[in-house]
Amino acid sequence: MTSEFIQRFTLRQRIEHVAVMLTFTLLSVTGLPQKFFETGWARFLISLFGGVGGTRLVHRGAGIVFTLLVIWHFGSAFVDVLARKVKLTIVPTLKDFADAIGTLRYYLGMAPKQPTFDRFDYKQKFEYWGLVMGGIIMVASGFLLLYPIFFTQLLPGEIIPAAKMAHSNEGLMAVLTIVIWHMYSAHLNPDVFPIDRSIFTGKISRERMHHEHPLELARIEADRNKPTES
Amino acid sequence: MKPILLLAASLLLSAAPALAETGEEARASRGSGGGDVEGCVECHGDPDLEVTLESGETKKLHVDKDVFLGSRHGGKLSCTDCHVDLKGSEGGHPEKPFKTSREFVVRYSEQCRSCHSDHYAQTLDSVHHAVLEKGNLKAAVCADCHGAHDVGRPGEPRASISKTCAKCHSDIFATYSASVHGTALLDRDNPDVPTCTDCHQSHAIASPRTGAWRLQTPDRCGACHGDEQKMKKYGLSNAVLKTYLSDFHGTTASLQKAEPGANPVVALCTDCHGIHDISKVKDPGSRVLQANLVKTCQKCHPEASANFPAAWMSHYEPSPDKSPLVYAVKLFYMFMVPFVIGGLILQIGLHLWRVVVKR
Repeated sequence: MTSEFIQRFTLRQRIEHVAVMLTFTLLSVTGLPQKFFETGWARFLISLFGGVGGTRLVHRGAGIVFTLLVIWHFGSAFVDVLARKVKLTIVPTLKDFADAIGTLRYYLGMAPKQPTFDRFDYKQKFEYWGLVMGGIIMVASGFLLLYPIFFTQLLPGEIIPAAKMAHSNEGLMAVLTIVIWHMYSAHLNPDVFPIDRSIFTGKISRERMHHEHPLELARIEADRNKPTES
Repeated sequence: MKPILLLAASLLLSAAPALAETGEEARASRGSGGGDVEGCVECHGDPDLEVTLESGETKKLHVDKDVFLGSRHGGKLSCTDCHVDLKGSEGGHPEKPFKTSREFVVRYSEQCRSCHSDHYAQTLDSVHHAVLEKGNLKAAVCADCHGAHDVGRPGEPRASISKTCAKCHSDIFATYSASVHGTALLDRDNPDVPTCTDCHQSHAIASPRTGAWRLQTPDRCGACHGDEQKMKKYGLSNAVLKTYLSDFHGTTASLQKAEPGANPVVALCTDCHGIHDISKVKDPGSRVLQANLVKTCQKCHPEASANFPAAWMSHYEPSPDKSPLVYAVKLFYMFMVPFVIGGLILQIGLHLWRVVVKR
């Protein structure tokens, strides 16, 4: 019999999540009011940061921290993969597309059961890669906006308003995705309500693993049993 | 701010009986109906009547009766309505204590407030009054702009407004006269271009050097340049204010306006287009002509390269021919945002339906 809880996230992953959570929040509350600067709530938020100067300073500071987190995340992932410490379980596969369709069929009542998932289901992969792609767009466009004089030495000037358009819309999309999707899957979803603690504690119950990630559970338990079998 | 000022003004006015009345009412009720002028012109009708003041200046005391009767006050006011201190005096009156001719004008302009209390109150807020209070009697008072015995209808013709300011501000007037606004006003009596008072106001003229005043620049220019009807007449775009505000400079200026004591560090309309010397955008000397633009940017961004001015979309909305890259990005997100967010909401809805309703 296995223990009741299974280790799902490493300490480093948990710290990374908290760091992204904080910088993302800070970037949102200092970024959105700049996009919607004519509204009352935007004016209020900006006044909390001591005016537009203070708001931009915090936004840029948080943006640089976010950039470092992105570099750290990919740098360390790259090293770990090279060292064969982790498997590329987050990379989308053909199965994810089949799972998405299978899940849709299940929701619509056309299939009796959900597809079974491995370490990350297709929704989690979507959110992860959405954050990665969005993050890259935000970092690139953010730096263009921070150093327009430098970048237009070589690049055409139009890249700056294009970066602003991208930064502004991608940022809004990211916030909406987090507010709608992440809040649902990590909090309001009846399966985890009121909160999915695993990203903070690093542990997940065997029951939830059985329910949400049965393929990974099977592999973990097979690995664990190996030495006794051989 | 306004009510406090009015209160202060009425306290100052406490000598005048018609305190609670508005300017309009006061003006209607206070005139004596243009009583006896004849008695005064018996002496003051003499073109040679003058007095030498302590300063050595000669003060003309002649009043042309016809000029006065032809003025806005003619037939409505009698001499002692303004020269109240002389009420009841007959056949000569005591000498005035004024040392200089200027002192005389400044003191008698105080009298205007007994009827025009509303406008007088506004002048208390003005930079002219602030200078006057510091003891500089050169600051403009009522009579300097409106005249004394020859008070006319203000602002007719419109060019007279700017010419009035030119009496003191001649350098600025010369610059303005050569500008696109000035030439239209002075040469063609154009009814739409701003005279001095359209930007600076007539009575509550504020100092144009404060940050707060400068941060109002977009509103000031936008009052006309955001007006579709007015701009259509001249084939100009009325999107200039909107496009300015949606860009970095405009957003910053708009937000800074709400901050007390803010000093703008971003380009306002006038930083690129000029102030009194505004020219047509297409004039060869225009600061905002494409060929001159990089120099204009370099005023604030000394490192700016030739590519840099294109970072500003020249008041155009993104479109396939003006800024195709920006337009493409805009179009992409116009579809992407609803697609992604709609998709997520749909998925949540379906999930809830399956696990809650149709278990």
